[in-house]
Amino acid sequence: MKRLRAMARAYREYWRINVLTTLEYRENFLMWFAFTIVYHGTALAALWVVLTAFPSMNGWTFREMAFLYGIWMLAHAVNNTFFSEVGNIPDHVHEGEFDRLLVRPLDTLFQVIATPGQTFPDELILAVVYFCAATWYSGVHVDATFLIFVPLIALGGALIDAGINLMVGTLAFWFVRVDALHWIVSQLEQEFTRYPVSIYSRSVRLLLTFAFPFAFMNYFPATFFLHKPENALGLPPAAGLLTPLIGLAFVTVAYAFWRFGLKRYQGTGH
Amino acid sequence: MSVTVARPRFRLEPYVEFAKVAMAKEATYRFDVFTSVASVLIRVYILRTVWVALYAHNAAPKELPLHAIITYSTVAMLMSLVMDIDQTRVLHDSLHDGSIVLDFTKPMRVPLYFIANGTGEVLFHAVLMLPALGLALLFVHIDVPSLGTLAVFFASFLLGYGVGFCINFILNCTAFWTLEITAVQFIVTWITDLVGGELVPLLLFPAALQNVLLFLPFAAMFSTPLLIYVGHIPPSQYAVALALQAFWLIVLAAISTVMWRLGTQRLVSQGG
Repeated sequence: MKRLRAMARAYREYWRINVLTTLEYRENFLMWFAFTIVYHGTALAALWVVLTAFPSMNGWTFREMAFLYGIWMLAHAVNNTFFSEVGNIPDHVHEGEFDRLLVRPLDTLFQVIATPGQTFPDELILAVVYFCAATWYSGVHVDATFLIFVPLIALGGALIDAGINLMVGTLAFWFVRVDALHWIVSQLEQEFTRYPVSIYSRSVRLLLTFAFPFAFMNYFPATFFLHKPENALGLPPAAGLLTPLIGLAFVTVAYAFWRFGLKRYQGTGH
Repeated sequence: MSVTVARPRFRLEPYVEFAKVAMAKEATYRFDVFTSVASVLIRVYILRTVWVALYAHNAAPKELPLHAIITYSTVAMLMSLVMDIDQTRVLHDSLHDGSIVLDFTKPMRVPLYFIANGTGEVLFHAVLMLPALGLALLFVHIDVPSLGTLAVFFASFLLGYGVGFCINFILNCTAFWTLEITAVQFIVTWITDLVGGELVPLLLFPAALQNVLLFLPFAAMFSTPLLIYVGHIPPSQYAVALALQAFWLIVLAAISTVMWRLGTQRLVSQGG
């Protein structure tokens, strides 16, 4: 209980420092925010161009793909807002800063997550605004199920995202430099979540569902809310509501791997 | 602090050495090199699947049949191995840590040093295009045009590379005035990928947009060489296409020169 209170206090402090840093480097913050807009804007523009030239992709229209993108964006933004530091584990490891976390009395992963930087919920706000617009634009029926499950799905998707980052970060205990791997994994996540998973071959669908469950970040939830008749693996439509559970399961596996790596961690000799 | 540029008698050898060192440096990160080439495999698989899915359920656009668009996207991806390199990043970095002052005291022409360094990096990645091409061929069939067209494609690619080089150089030069421009560079890169025709051929854009985008310098980087490759720009229009690229290259090179002159004149050491 005392430890929980200490963690809560540290976490509050973490957000206070983040906000103060952001306020201090205002121009820098604005430029990165502009990039966030351009990043999502160009992705959506490319989808729009393609789906104006070709009216549908495997039975998906631009309106539906805009919604598909919206669910991913929401989950991804939750991850970037609350777990972004997990992606920086390799940096901490090869700069030797990681050792410092090991001698402090709080959980190591918690300390990683609460390393102050310039995190600000700008992308999350953008994602919420975009998601509302995309929901309206795609004509998805908003009911109680939608309102209850969307936040849970976003959280579950974020846990999938964070779980992948945690696994790649744990690999840094052995290989130290995993920058390229990290970059490629996030590129692949981006590409595989942009289009309906049903366009891929069966083996890739299986991989995206059970090994790297990116399909649960947005494809399965989107097919459920859009009432799409298809389903990549013949799963019942309600599979789309399993995302929170899948996220929890996936992050648990990643955490076990992290604990395993932590026991064997030897430092880079700083 | 003002700095006078030393002008010794010109010799080429040191610059060749600079390029070699830059090449060797790029080759050191073997795991990075391996993963970036290996990822081509997955990216080619994705692009093939996406275009096949689009062409399967819709009427194909006349000017770009499926094999042409797969060729286009694959060649674009191979080109990006070279085009995505920020060759003059070292200028930005040395302005940041102040070491640029030391560069000026050395008996060399600083711009040539940056160019030699960047060329070394680029040559290394140009060589990587070969294994990447080999991997790509496992998944897709690429149309091969006639030798003449291929030669014009490479000339156009070179001009496009020059345009990209100048855009990067101009951005890095802004570090003379403001110090943190990484976000701006990202913004420019992302927009270039879209409006330059790397992600999606400009021919698929709505006509009104196409008419504007095809004439911008971004199209000179990707779209023009690629449209020559897939045969959409016929031999009768080669001269016009290359002239437009050359026009942008000259304009941007002139801006680069002016930026460099103004920048070095007001060079302020950042405590390095």
